[in-house]
Amino acid sequence: MTIQLSSSESGTSPSLSLSLPPSTYAKLLPLSFLAAHLPETRPSGRSPSEFRQTTLHTGSLTHAHGSAVVRIGDTAVVCGVRGEILRASDTNIPDDFSGDDSERISTLGLLIPNVELSTGCNPAFLPGNAPGSTAQGLLQRLITLLKVGSVVGFEELCIYEDRSELIASDDKMQDEPEKREVRAYFTLYIDILFLSLSGSAFDTAWMALLAALKDTKLPTARWDRDSEGALCDPRPENYKKLRVQRFPVALSWAVFSETKSKLNVVLVDADDFEESCCDEGGLIVMDIDQTTGQELLLRVEKYGGGVVAIAEMKTILSIASKRWKEWDALLKGR
Amino acid sequence: MTDRRRVNGPTGGTTPVVFDPELVKNFAASVSKPIRTRAARELRKIFLQTGLTPSASGSAYFEVEQHPSHSHGLARSSTLKITCTVHGPRPLPRSSSFTPNMLLTTTVKFAPFAASQRRGYIRDNAERDLAVHLETAIRGVIMNDRWPKSGLDVVITILEGEDDSWWDTGLSTMSSGGQTPFGMMSILSGCITAASTAIVDAGIDCVDIVTGGVAALVKKSELATGNSNLELVLDPCPSEHDEIVACCVVGYLKARDELTEVWMRGDVSLTPQVGVGGQSEVDSLINGAVQAASAYHAVIVSSIKK
Repeated sequence: MTIQLSSSESGTSPSLSLSLPPSTYAKLLPLSFLAAHLPETRPSGRSPSEFRQTTLHTGSLTHAHGSAVVRIGDTAVVCGVRGEILRASDTNIPDDFSGDDSERISTLGLLIPNVELSTGCNPAFLPGNAPGSTAQGLLQRLITLLKVGSVVGFEELCIYEDRSELIASDDKMQDEPEKREVRAYFTLYIDILFLSLSGSAFDTAWMALLAALKDTKLPTARWDRDSEGALCDPRPENYKKLRVQRFPVALSWAVFSETKSKLNVVLVDADDFEESCCDEGGLIVMDIDQTTGQELLLRVEKYGGGVVAIAEMKTILSIASKRWKEWDALLKGR
Repeated sequence: MTDRRRVNGPTGGTTPVVFDPELVKNFAASVSKPIRTRAARELRKIFLQTGLTPSASGSAYFEVEQHPSHSHGLARSSTLKITCTVHGPRPLPRSSSFTPNMLLTTTVKFAPFAASQRRGYIRDNAERDLAVHLETAIRGVIMNDRWPKSGLDVVITILEGEDDSWWDTGLSTMSSGGQTPFGMMSILSGCITAASTAIVDAGIDCVDIVTGGVAALVKKSELATGNSNLELVLDPCPSEHDEIVACCVVGYLKARDELTEVWMRGDVSLTPQVGVGGQSEVDSLINGAVQAASAYHAVIVSSIKK
């Protein structure tokens, strides 16, 4: 077959060969197109171990309590967080509940993430259908990571009734020694919308979720005995910032292997085209402890294909920790 | 039936945040209600950019400028933020029957965080209605006989819609049965402009560029004097006016001077009025909307040329 890359061969004897622009070549023979570039660079000009730059904007949505737009290459995600009130009387958590805080949050349903892919972000996900397995899989991974990573503390979401007055005025109430009691909770609806999708969907969604939570400011609320409901303070200066306990970072990767050219390259943060050429891939979620500087693994995933060398995984981890530093600087506004 | 493919809230149900009425009263006194400071025929600036979604054939992002005087803290008013993607022309599935023209599908969806009340993921009637209006506005513009057996999808996501009322009066309007949602009119106008830009960005042949425009008849404030107590304003912002009497949105083709879509709401008279230059209220409303729409034409052209 005499198909040549016209970009490299332009001007030299086109009479013998059928010359095609690179974009057409990529569509006709995606695997050989990618193989022709590797192992040094990718079609986009990045090296296989280079991730795309992340950009972050927060607080651009008026109606949400917190919001963020994260863009990684051509993938863009907007995330809005809105707090709503859940009355403790409407929940049915057992009194002898033994789980920890994150267990409690998930049982009560205080963090409700949702992912919407059918926003026209990619021709593969056009609206009119219920969320497919990609969207559901993405969502399930976000939920588990939110739970496992204990990103938001339980205390942050509680709304208390101040009983100190009641106790002072009524001496007979000896059986209620607690000064305050949880009467309601804030449920945070975390809605993640894809504006554009070109690879690394999970990384972008996860970062948008974290940045939106970090941006979230909830009104201070108190339980009102007379109206049997939680009342909030409308003054902006009394809004309280939600404390996010940690900011783990996600890095997805794909393995491109081709038998003809004996290639086996790990592509970090693969884009749409590269993902479509690879059967093997994975995801790594890691965090760096702010005080000790220790690298912590939260989640490792690998699917499809054959084997990946342990040394290769270590390289991916070191790239992820590089991304963590970039992400940390972005969040701190540096 | 519950949606089992998404995560629904707690089974007990949650309520939107309720503010302390006492504190709201004090707080409302400290911040002023937004007032329209621009002239009656002056439009807000719009921001329009193409190519934000590289994976789509064409895309556009549309945003209306925020009023500078009330852009602080909680009391800042919302603006309109719309993204639009166009997919196609693409082949229809084999199962569909032959069509000599390109099939146009429009979808309009509010993001859950687009309004002051959280919206669901399943499309409601208001969204379907907007999609039908949008389809009529752009169907006549596309030369759809050039692509037989193909389909075109226009997908709009409204990231942020305008408030229908000033936020702290939300409680009072809710109790009185709700105001007529005139905010939908400017949303439709924005959708038409965004969709038209994205269609041109996708390189689909059109007879002209269609633009959306809105005009409204509002009750004049008591200080103003004049023969009529109604005033025609272009590009109305619902939260800035006490009462909007009627509103009209058009899809307008500037080069051909044609309308593809007219949507009018409210009470308007057909008889010529003395106050507004001998025109009937209907005529002046439509003319106003056309005037607004033709102003956006230049913005689209410059954003496409970029």
